[in-house]
Amino acid sequence: MRSYLRFLGGYLSANLQAAMEYRAGFWSQVASMALNDGLWLGFWFLFFQRYPVVQGWVVSDIIIVWAVPAAGFGLATGIFGRAQRLASVITSGGLDSYLTMPKNVLLHVLVSATSASGWGDLIFGLVAFTLLIRPTPFDFLLYLALVLMVAIIFTAFLVLLGSLAFWLGNSEGLSQQLMGALISFSTYPTAIFHGAVKLLLFTVLPAGFISYFPVELLRSFRWPLLGALFAFTVGIAALAWAVFHLGLRRYESGNRLGAQAL
Amino acid sequence: MTQGITLSAPVRKRPGRWRSFGKYWAVFQISMASSLAYISEIAFRAVTLVALMVIFVQLWQTTYSAQANSHLGAFTIRDIIWYLALVETLATSVPALNRRVDGEVRSGDLAYLLGRPCNYVFYQYAHYLGERVVRLAMALLVASTLALLFVGPPPISFWGLLAAPLVIFLSISIDFGALFAIGLLAFWTEETESFALIYSRLVLVLGGVLVPLELFPEPLGSIARVLPFAALLYGPARTIIKFDLGQFGALLVQQGLTLAVLAFLVAGIYRLVVRRVNINGG
Repeated sequence: MRSYLRFLGGYLSANLQAAMEYRAGFWSQVASMALNDGLWLGFWFLFFQRYPVVQGWVVSDIIIVWAVPAAGFGLATGIFGRAQRLASVITSGGLDSYLTMPKNVLLHVLVSATSASGWGDLIFGLVAFTLLIRPTPFDFLLYLALVLMVAIIFTAFLVLLGSLAFWLGNSEGLSQQLMGALISFSTYPTAIFHGAVKLLLFTVLPAGFISYFPVELLRSFRWPLLGALFAFTVGIAALAWAVFHLGLRRYESGNRLGAQAL
Repeated sequence: MTQGITLSAPVRKRPGRWRSFGKYWAVFQISMASSLAYISEIAFRAVTLVALMVIFVQLWQTTYSAQANSHLGAFTIRDIIWYLALVETLATSVPALNRRVDGEVRSGDLAYLLGRPCNYVFYQYAHYLGERVVRLAMALLVASTLALLFVGPPPISFWGLLAAPLVIFLSISIDFGALFAIGLLAFWTEETESFALIYSRLVLVLGGVLVPLELFPEPLGSIARVLPFAALLYGPARTIIKFDLGQFGALLVQQGLTLAVLAFLVAGIYRLVVRRVNINGG
């Protein structure tokens, strides 16, 4: 466990140093993503103030609906930056170089890149929650735990989508679109959805676990609710792990020549 | 002894306007054919469009059911869903033009393209139009099918339908100018994606992709309506759904002015860029 943490830390540091080679580009991506999130939040803040469509919803709920998914997605793609390109890594034969390495293949692939804009999302989420909600120490710790669980859910979902490439071939387009759909659904109050869409949000497209649970928990903390979210997080992570390794058995080398520097 | 070469009259003559246009028409057709060859990729994009339409339909159904009145401003729920179908069609059909231009600048391909017997800006414009037309058609098919299923036939008048091709053409031309200029910034900046992201978000929020601008709280609504972003999404969609001659005239002036300013800007940047291109050997 300790060796894996050192491994993650080492990669994270190397990825950030590589990204910093283009310092202005890195920071402009961070700033533009934070600004992008701020624009959306500002807009929905105005919208829900004018049209209070969800009974009992207050301003802080809208902030949470943005602050938790944004920070969770940012943490996921900041650390596991390759998760978004997993499908193309698989179809281009890019797994070859990882198969010969001693560390776990999935973890190694995921951690081999970082997303600059992801850090913008993470910074936005943390700043929005801290400055606009002004949480108690307990709420802040709960927020951090929620962000961590949401990051695991996003990563697992990306792995599941990326692993489709083992069976479907190049599924990067489909994977990006489904991820876009998950992010879109995650940033709206779950209460506005009903019928089959609501069922979808707690099953196939787990946006309900990313937005509904954090809002409810930060409103009034309940252990059973936290337990349910934790169980779902562990479940989807285990499923993603199993599906990837099942797909790996079907993987055929692309005889690709290349060098893996890290 | 040397033998002189005599050029026949048609070859000596400089290509006429129509022959020049023919080149760009060919680029447009090739771009369309190339986009159609990857139609499955364009169809995948429909997933996001379907998700957005479902979200907005449910959001507005909830909003309308919470109101005592069946109208919000001048919009009924049917008007607003069709309005959203049109703005989503425009917003989700934008090709990654800035990324292509950025790539050509960084890879040096721009230098080769400049040597071709056609104007680089018009070449890119024709290429962009071909790609955009295919994407627009696909997005319109998906969005209008969903809107039809959710709220019934569109509330479009004959005049709205007649105005549609012109206002949409001007809207996508404005988009071209902005994205092309952003792509050319690659000459000066390390990456241009950040500019493209901010531009697209400003278009979405201030262009009325989520809510028609007249339903914005004041004074934000009034400010957004005079900004150029309104000429991209809100103006065309509003004109098609609720045609009004006065507003149509005002929109044409707004789109014309925005396009003129962008054309001036693009020409200026392009002139600077061409001076910076160095071609060393072949």
